[in-house]
Amino acid sequence: MLCERCKKNEATVFYRESVNGKERSLSLCSECAKEAEKKGELEDVFEHENLFGTGFFDDAFSGADKLFGSLFGVRELPGRTKEKVKKCPLCGSVFSDLVNTGKAGCPECYRTFSEELSPTISRIHGTTSHVGGAPAAYKKDREKKEKIRTLEAELKAAVKDEEYEKAAKLRDELRAARAEGSDVK
Amino acid sequence: MKWYETKGRDSDVFVSSRIRLARNLKDYPFGDRLDETSRKEIIGKVRGVFEGDPEYGFTDFSGLSENERAAASEEHKVSPEFARSSKNRGLVESKDGTVSVMILEEDHVRIQSILPGLALEEAYERADSVDSALDAKLNIAYDDKLGYLTHCPTNLGTGMRASVMMFLPGTVAAGGVRSLANQLAKIGLTVRGMSGEGSAADGCLFQISNQVTLGVTEKETISKLADVTGKIAEQERTLRKKLFDADRDGVSDRVMRAYGTMLYAVRIDTNELLKLYSDVRLGVCLGIIDCLNVEKLDEILIRSMPAMIMNQHGGKMTPAERDRARAEGIRKILSGSDGK
Repeated sequence: MLCERCKKNEATVFYRESVNGKERSLSLCSECAKEAEKKGELEDVFEHENLFGTGFFDDAFSGADKLFGSLFGVRELPGRTKEKVKKCPLCGSVFSDLVNTGKAGCPECYRTFSEELSPTISRIHGTTSHVGGAPAAYKKDREKKEKIRTLEAELKAAVKDEEYEKAAKLRDELRAARAEGSDVK
Repeated sequence: MKWYETKGRDSDVFVSSRIRLARNLKDYPFGDRLDETSRKEIIGKVRGVFEGDPEYGFTDFSGLSENERAAASEEHKVSPEFARSSKNRGLVESKDGTVSVMILEEDHVRIQSILPGLALEEAYERADSVDSALDAKLNIAYDDKLGYLTHCPTNLGTGMRASVMMFLPGTVAAGGVRSLANQLAKIGLTVRGMSGEGSAADGCLFQISNQVTLGVTEKETISKLADVTGKIAEQERTLRKKLFDADRDGVSDRVMRAYGTMLYAVRIDTNELLKLYSDVRLGVCLGIIDCLNVEKLDEILIRSMPAMIMNQHGGKMTPAERDRARAEGIRKILSGSDGK
């Protein structure tokens, strides 16, 4: 399913609200969700339909609400429930599945839950960065990225030194290197 | 020739060296989340990589009997976990028996390479060449930051477990196993006895392997394991000499009694076998017995495991029948009348 907002990325964050049996939902990709959360928009999405009108309960519970919301991604208020469930787009796992089994549901889970998993991985291995071997396509990709970085630096230096002929040559090489694209499928 | 019939380097202390690589296909879930169709697809894809290669053969592992599966694990061809399950699984093996590819173990693919003695680098080279063959044809799950993506986060990164099986009767006699295990844990290595504990009842065999797979290269992992176990081996040789020098007759008596039992006993159970193996192997290493070599003893040990025996005798046996067959098998190997 595509993100409802950018319509480009796969949706991985699902918000669901049920107000007195009436359900509404919103599916976003992780970037749009982060963006929306930062701006406080997600509150607005659902907030205008306040059954209690005065906002008294909302105010009274807002502290606890925010705390639990951030811990469990679930919000409950009198008369209404709101859930935020991040699901892995490949296998459908939610984070609690990973916690319960101690294992990932599929390779994609590591991307979907990268933030949540990072402390655990760091605890197991003392680091979160791989330095060993890679499949051939990734190795080639690494070399290409390295080449592009070198060319960019050389181009910058050439422009700075006003060596325009050299810069033009480098620019063409850089263009060609970028056009090659990725080997990773 | 099986790995346990071949002479290895430093085989007085090192029984075998093994490399395991965990690999997964990008587009499939792990473990219980795989349905039967996906399992079949994965088996087909991995099998397809080796199709037409005369060096490799495929076995429908789930088509084997429980006993045949257990025997494959006793031969260290597959992991015990792989042997236990009757779910749809596949096994690709090299003709020389040193490389096997478990399809649908905990990970989609586990490449294993095992060689006699201390031979971690050679074992890695073999596993790595199979890994390259898989990589050329399949879409392997990998992440620039986390490395190879595996079912269990403990295998992320290189996805590699390097291990050596060490024979440590001197260290056991000196009571040094526990402190050794503690020291190794501090530097990221794990020790396991054959039955999960560290005692003489394990035949003084210990498997030492790397714990960490992320943030270290394959080469670093291997050279660290080789360095550390090299030091353990030196210490073991010193302790053996001390043990022998302290009571030459006592040690010789124990060794020769064990050898005598191997030669003449009518029934031998698995526990006794492990003790006999340990005493006789020590005797060979110390030069007390000179008409035998350690390869023969390693072969005896593996061929005398319960499922291996039942496999040779075509199926189910009572423990008494097995103990009798075990003693008979040992005699045959020792007298050279097993046809080799």
